[in-house]
Amino acid sequence: MSAASQTTTVDTTRSGTSDGWRESRAVQLWLPRILGYVVVLGMWQFASTQLVERAFALPSPTTILQEMWEIIVTGVFWEHFYSTIRKIAIGYSITFVLGMGIGVLMARPWADAFFRDWVLSIMSTPGLVFALVAAMIFGFSPLGPITAIVITSFPFVTVNIAEGVKAIPKDLIDMGKAFNVSERRRLRQIVIPFLAPYTFAALRYGFSIAWKIATLTEVFGSSSGIGFMIRREFQMFSIAGMLAWIFFFFAFALLLEQILQTGMKRYFRWRPEAMV
Amino acid sequence: MAQTQTAGARPATFSPRRILRQRRSARVLSVVLFLLGWQLLLPVLPTALIPAPAEVLGFMWDEIRGDTLGRTTVWEAFAISLRRLFAGFTIAFLIGLPVGLLMGANRWIDRMFKDFVLVGLAMPSLVWALLTGLWFGLDSGATIITVVLAATPFVIINTLEGVRDVPRELTDMARSFHVPRTHVIRHVIFPSLMPFFFASLRYGLANGWKGLVLAEVFAATSGAGWNIRYWYDAHRAQGVIGYAFFFIIFALIVERLVFQRLSNRVFRWRPSDDVGPDELTAKELDQYGVAAGGDVAM
Amino acid sequence: MAEIRIDHLHKAFGQDEDKVIALEDVNLEISGAVFVSIVGPSGCGKSTLLNILSDIETPTSGSVSITQDGGKAKIGYVFQAARLLPWRNVMDNLMFVQPERDDAARKRCREYLEMVHLEHTVKKYPAELSGGMQQRVGIARAFAIEPDVLFMDEPFSHLDAITARGLRRELHEMWKATRKTVVFVTHDVGEAVELSNRVIIFGKGGQIREDMTLDLPFPRDAADDKVALAKANILRRFEELDLIAR
Repeated sequence: MSAASQTTTVDTTRSGTSDGWRESRAVQLWLPRILGYVVVLGMWQFASTQLVERAFALPSPTTILQEMWEIIVTGVFWEHFYSTIRKIAIGYSITFVLGMGIGVLMARPWADAFFRDWVLSIMSTPGLVFALVAAMIFGFSPLGPITAIVITSFPFVTVNIAEGVKAIPKDLIDMGKAFNVSERRRLRQIVIPFLAPYTFAALRYGFSIAWKIATLTEVFGSSSGIGFMIRREFQMFSIAGMLAWIFFFFAFALLLEQILQTGMKRYFRWRPEAMV
Repeated sequence: MAQTQTAGARPATFSPRRILRQRRSARVLSVVLFLLGWQLLLPVLPTALIPAPAEVLGFMWDEIRGDTLGRTTVWEAFAISLRRLFAGFTIAFLIGLPVGLLMGANRWIDRMFKDFVLVGLAMPSLVWALLTGLWFGLDSGATIITVVLAATPFVIINTLEGVRDVPRELTDMARSFHVPRTHVIRHVIFPSLMPFFFASLRYGLANGWKGLVLAEVFAATSGAGWNIRYWYDAHRAQGVIGYAFFFIIFALIVERLVFQRLSNRVFRWRPSDDVGPDELTAKELDQYGVAAGGDVAM
Repeated sequence: MAEIRIDHLHKAFGQDEDKVIALEDVNLEISGAVFVSIVGPSGCGKSTLLNILSDIETPTSGSVSITQDGGKAKIGYVFQAARLLPWRNVMDNLMFVQPERDDAARKRCREYLEMVHLEHTVKKYPAELSGGMQQRVGIARAFAIEPDVLFMDEPFSHLDAITARGLRRELHEMWKATRKTVVFVTHDVGEAVELSNRVIIFGKGGQIREDMTLDLPFPRDAADDKVALAKANILRRFEELDLIAR
């Protein structure tokens, strides 16, 4: 049948699926986000110039950035950063070993009952409590933050690992047994890959706790470290300085989170969710 | 492992082995072993500042009886703190609920503020405590404001998730049967929001509590947090450790009695191996790269 | 030649009032390149029998021996659900159950994957495959260790009718080519009739109620008269033995 009837001209100059810049996917995603930042940062900048009375001293974002720059440039940053990192590294390694050990044990009901109250209550108790006890007992020694880290973060590792061990798929283990696969190979090829996501979760949760507790304990019981610096700025009523250090603390924690996350994504390519 | 009771079963055996096997014994045993270990390790510990269990228990007992050297007894202190907590949380709820609803319902608003909510979730309460302390000074409600700051993000994110997760297939089904809107809200939307509401309560209160206690250290002259700081400043180890135990016991009581019971009643209809509200939201939060659900230490 | 001997096999679960008898005095001898189907209603103990045969469960009493020319036999197993390791690709899944993981094993795995027409999926993960494909990988995995005896537990019951049909044909070709001893558990009588030359009927309470040989020529077409008759006969036998709920 011939196309003799009137045809509407189609504007072929437009590309792809979008009807215009407003509907494009990138705009949809980024515009509100950017708007949000503009609004909040703008309000902040405005508030800091308006509310200058001491009670509401709110340094502008620019002031804080300046402070942060100073801290890095004068080298002060590295000295304290290193101090904190060291404690976290030591504390967290101990945590991980301890947590995994107890976590595996807790898959059994009796051990679960034995540890559960402690694990539960430590998770629900403010870290401050442990920070104070540790600071008091150990004074300014690095043992204080380390002990506090171990006590407060091991429950998280434990709980995640225990969940994993309880969930190990019996049908896959049975399949391995039916085919006479050695116990070692079953461990390496079934149990360990299966536990990997739980281990990662344990790592992430536990680590974020470790960071916070380390800093908090340093506030009370340390002569160096990020927490110590935050406290110093607090005592000197320097909000800008305090916020500067807090931002550093934050930035680093988020950076590590991101690294762990991307590491996770690459490792878990096989997951159905990742397949889409 | 459940112990099956069969009618007319064999006579109960009181063998020590059997009693030891029970879960309750495990719980009791762990406390006993802890105290024992503490007492025995005392001379070997690297510092002289740790008191004996007897001293700490003695202190705790005095406190419980109301005989205290501090400003307030432990009962009063916790009562003050709890009052602040609930006041702050109510505000957090009044702010967080509408924001969460809006963000859940509208994609644009969600994208605008999502990053900030995430920052709020990951923010250690120390920060809020210090900031409000500096801004508002001592005893001026800085504590309550800290609770608001610490709890609101959790209320928001859980409400948000709840709105997103309203089961489409059920609302569609209701629409195809021409069920009136109020009925749909009552019987479909409201129950589906319950686990999230519950989670917002749980995490909001937990985080609010952390923030509150810290704020009391820096910006208050009463309350549980202030009390433990009082003993710390006075270098009284049994005071600090004693209060630490009070906090731990408090957490246990709240967790086991309040939340467990409450969630059991509210979620009667759930099959027992279904995902509970806590794990549900922790997993959702996980995709944002925020260890916020499990993060209840600061 | 592979030989399976089951002597007075007894399996019970639980104690006293809760006791459940899964298998009762089962006596069975299977030898040579036969395809044996075990049919019965659900709960008749067929899966328990397979579990015992593959050493996942222990009998309450009685003995089981599976030998190849007098020595220990190699056993392959295909499950209802494919039971592939989700975090390993297809080739690694096949290699996982190989006793020696060398180049010869790799070659074997590849050959058997070709037999099920899945050689192009070597690097894929189970989540990327359909249910039918996953099951075929499971079959290739079992065949690739070149077992003397093959146990299959309702391997096609989770698949749709069309896929199952195709897989049955494939399985038959593989059996014809490799001439193994196969013990095939199913609740589908038609399937049993299509594939096997010996059918054992299990009754509720775990005893063998009937043991019959099927002497029809292969390949068998469901539309063929003799095949349909055989199936009808077995079903009638089910009723006579009071195995079908009315």
